[in-house]
Amino acid sequence: MQRPDWAPDTIDIERPSVARMYDYYLGGSHNFAADRAAAQAMVAAVPEAPLMAQANRAFLRRAVHHLAEAGVRQFLDIGSGIPTVGNVHEIAQRLDPQSRVVYVDVDPVAVAHSREILAGNERAAVVQEDLRHPEAILAHPDVRKLLDLNQPVAVMVVAVLHFVPDDDRPAELLRTLRDALAPGSYLVLSQASKDGRSDDERAEAERVYRRTDNPLWIRDRAELTALFDGFELLDPGVVWVPQWRPDTPESAEDAERAVFMGGVGRLGG
Amino acid sequence: MAESLGATPYPGTFARAWAKAVSGTSYLPMTQAQLETLLDRLTGQLAGALLTEPFDLRAGHRVGAELVAAHIASAEGLGRTVEVIQLRLVRDLGLVAEDVEDRMARLLAAVATGYARALRDRTLDEQESIRRAAMRARTQAERALRASEARFRHQATHDPLTGLPNRTLFTERLTAALNEPGRGAQRVGVCFLDLDRFKVVNDSLGHQIGDLLLVTVAERLRKAMGEHLVARLGGDEFVILVERTGGTDDMVAVAETALAAVRTPALVDGHELQISASIGIVERQVAGANPTDLMRAADSTLHWAKAAGGARWTLYDAERNQRELARYALSAAIPAALERGEFYLDYQPLTSLRDGSLVGVEALVRWRHPELGVLRPDSFIGLAEETGLIVQLGGWVLAEACREAEAWSAGGVAAPFVSVNLAVRQVHRPGLVQEVRALLRQTGLPPERLQLEITESTMMSTAEEPVRALRVLADLGVRIAIDDFGTGYSNLAYLRDLPVTELKVAGEFVAGLRSPSVGRTDERILASLVSLAHALDLTVTAEGVETAGQAERLRAIGCDAAQGWHFGRPAPADRILARIR
Repeated sequence: MQRPDWAPDTIDIERPSVARMYDYYLGGSHNFAADRAAAQAMVAAVPEAPLMAQANRAFLRRAVHHLAEAGVRQFLDIGSGIPTVGNVHEIAQRLDPQSRVVYVDVDPVAVAHSREILAGNERAAVVQEDLRHPEAILAHPDVRKLLDLNQPVAVMVVAVLHFVPDDDRPAELLRTLRDALAPGSYLVLSQASKDGRSDDERAEAERVYRRTDNPLWIRDRAELTALFDGFELLDPGVVWVPQWRPDTPESAEDAERAVFMGGVGRLGG
Repeated sequence: MAESLGATPYPGTFARAWAKAVSGTSYLPMTQAQLETLLDRLTGQLAGALLTEPFDLRAGHRVGAELVAAHIASAEGLGRTVEVIQLRLVRDLGLVAEDVEDRMARLLAAVATGYARALRDRTLDEQESIRRAAMRARTQAERALRASEARFRHQATHDPLTGLPNRTLFTERLTAALNEPGRGAQRVGVCFLDLDRFKVVNDSLGHQIGDLLLVTVAERLRKAMGEHLVARLGGDEFVILVERTGGTDDMVAVAETALAAVRTPALVDGHELQISASIGIVERQVAGANPTDLMRAADSTLHWAKAAGGARWTLYDAERNQRELARYALSAAIPAALERGEFYLDYQPLTSLRDGSLVGVEALVRWRHPELGVLRPDSFIGLAEETGLIVQLGGWVLAEACREAEAWSAGGVAAPFVSVNLAVRQVHRPGLVQEVRALLRQTGLPPERLQLEITESTMMSTAEEPVRALRVLADLGVRIAIDDFGTGYSNLAYLRDLPVTELKVAGEFVAGLRSPSVGRTDERILASLVSLAHALDLTVTAEGVETAGQAERLRAIGCDAAQGWHFGRPAPADRILARIR
């Protein structure tokens, strides 16, 4: 993130990308040798890593499904990554083909890939931007074209905030987004949590991610809850992601193994 | 032979067990219920394959492929599928067939084969798509890089206000024109253009209007100049590069066009502005030219056009430039020459017209230049005054004169005073009084043996400080003389305020004494000046006295003293003093 705004990206597939590592955890093959090596190192450090990714992905699916059923027809997915199976637009547009989805990611390869997946889908688009520049996201012409900010929007900040250190003021970033949203909008948030994990394990995970452009910044439940400032948390609040409205009671068992915590908040008024 | 499939509960026990076995082996974009429904359908296909005659392996392949398509696509997913089918399918569904074990083995092989094939294809597809994405991202990044480089290059070579090429681009193009003979140019020309009195526009109407005016001028020049490069060098300076000129006539035509383009009144934000420009033209052979010299020449030429009143073009003149360079070089050499002691003083006698005695001498500075020989003051004093070096040089003259003059009294005879010219800047400089006081103290020269000559123009300024300084000096006993009296300002009012001791009457009145016709008038003027001076208790010295006749007439008028070739040319002090020893 040191490069100036006007400087173009460099594409270096020798450097692990967090988006492609996530794809690997999910069982995808949208990744390169460097991504796999880093992901394997992560699995060695935290064996549950694939499970974490799956659980988080399932949380995303359930949250989108819930919001779509609740009538939300606009989705802004920030940090969308590699569009593997179960994308927001697949879930939302299955329920209502009129649903509009804008994906945002900072990784140029993930964006190029998303663009191919979305070719021909007039109600979905992808924007290359950084969560750290919420104004730029909100002002982006594709965002403006597809999303009507006077109507409720579900903002997804799923499995990405652990790449935003406190120095980048995540609460302010979310506030900027919140202030642009209409009442009835939602915030879907999840990130890797530090609750119940050993310091060793965390240190090793952090070491793996220092090889990428996105070092880890783990938070606890209280910090995550605070990030919902201005939103009313839906039940059951900020929980281990498998515990958020599980499909079956069994799927919420051993929930803390998923490491990810998340929740959904509604903007009242 | 087979039990009815319709009897199986929906979803069946087996499908639920299968679903449980595979869930968690990979991410499945569906709910558990959706998974069970899918696997229930596949269970039907498997059961059908086990029972149907003839046995069809393709059903197994299809199931394997469908599992992958449904994202049950991990190694564990296959392993658990094989396990659960082998252990439970026949039992849970109560299937009965003679060769069921044999069929089961072949069916599982077919499922695994179909699964592996589909997974391999899917892996290859995903690898291909991510590689394609990486390539596209890279292409895009490279394109963005080129675009940003191009943008950066444009910003670096253009003036943001007018959009014209800037100095960088102009210098590049000029250098290319001079260095690339392949371009076929024999001669090249430059018009260096500057708006006349642009500062007035900025100062009176504000910088915004000034900027708008510059934009207008830039646009006009660009249109008028066609193929010739027009660049803005900064401020209100523009330059036109003309490649492949046929001679100065071509350049003059270009300059005329440019001047005409600027001359048309410009309507800027409601103000009608009538502006003009000055242009310096340089046109020369490409061979042997270099950009720096060419632009320096253009700059000098532009200054000539400005000095001549502006609203015109001027052609470069090598000889004139040479003279100016020489003058410049000379003035630049003054400080070092002072340090090396290249200056010295000659003295010219001021002789009493009453008794022929030497009343004083005027110190005259000389420069023994290592290359140019001895230079008289008229070749460098003007320059020194322009550059301000006169303060340093004049200070040296004053100190040297005081130092030498002090020694003259050694003979015991009444020693002459020494008269030193003070430049305007010296008189106006604070600290003059301290400087003179310190000199007198250091050298021991009595104040009344020092005379300071100032010109009338020195007193034209209304500043009070110089007057006060001169009064203090006069109070010390220092003589104050007005040099070249009668030719300049001639405002008699300052004679009232100034502590003047002497008037030095300009040589041109004396020169008139030669011819009888003009001489009458000059003689009357001189006589009036003398009587005026005497009435005010001032002495009068006539300058430029060259003949005995002139001396005689001046004596008759009552003039006190005289100076000129008739009484002695400037010479080293010892030679002058030999007369009084």
